[in-house]
Amino acid sequence: MEYGTIEREIHIDAPPDVVYEVITTPEHIAQWWGFEAEFPAVPGGEGRMTRPVRDGRGQLVVPISVVEADAPRRFVFRWVHPEDQPATPENSFLVTFELEPAGGGTLLRLTEAGFREVGWEAATLEAYYRDHSAGWDQHLPSLAAYTARVARA
Amino acid sequence: MSATIDDELWAALGDPTRRRLLDLLLADGHGTATSLSDRMPVTRQAVAKHLVVLERAELVVARKEGREVRYVVNDAQFARAVRQLATVGAAWDARLRRIKKIAESIQALRSMD
Repeated sequence: MEYGTIEREIHIDAPPDVVYEVITTPEHIAQWWGFEAEFPAVPGGEGRMTRPVRDGRGQLVVPISVVEADAPRRFVFRWVHPEDQPATPENSFLVTFELEPAGGGTLLRLTEAGFREVGWEAATLEAYYRDHSAGWDQHLPSLAAYTARVARA
Repeated sequence: MSATIDDELWAALGDPTRRRLLDLLLADGHGTATSLSDRMPVTRQAVAKHLVVLERAELVVARKEGREVRYVVNDAQFARAVRQLATVGAAWDARLRRIKKIAESIQALRSMD
């Protein structure tokens, strides 16, 4: 299970400047992520990404906040923080793209800090309740059912 | 499972207030915007807004009770969300493959010039 940071790398047969453009421009983001992106790809750039929600009742709006934009080497952003609040380590996920020239192409590294980093880990809900909830005994039955589901998942 | 569902769940769970609301609902079994806001440092209006987001992501189910709306956790969807936490890596794998494909086709076009 991956509740913590995700780390991936992939080799791409295209130079870093091409890969950087694909990662940062709305035209390409629509293709690889499915979001309509509106944000300036500059450090401190604030914006949003939108897509229709699956039941057709409006739009999913996801704030995005650019942390680093060092073409064609690094692109770092935070996302999913509340729209009316600045992105912080507690309320958003940090995504880092690192591009390195490799064999005429690019080695692209991705990391995304996950729920472990924002302090909510479904797998440790039990410990959470033990620490934070007075009526632990009352909650035990529902938690037991919950953890059983997690275990089966 | 489509990428849309991943992102919608992810965005719903990304907010600490909404995670706390889910925690409270899981612990208590049910709650209303009023009862939940009593236990959190946010207004009833803010809680109501977050509950709507959770409902839209199908993480909670709303039941009208007189003038109040009572919420319970949608067990099936919550279990799915927990399972999806394990598939975030797979979602990124798919995105990276698409980035690779797009960049390589741009490069192929460039090389032809």
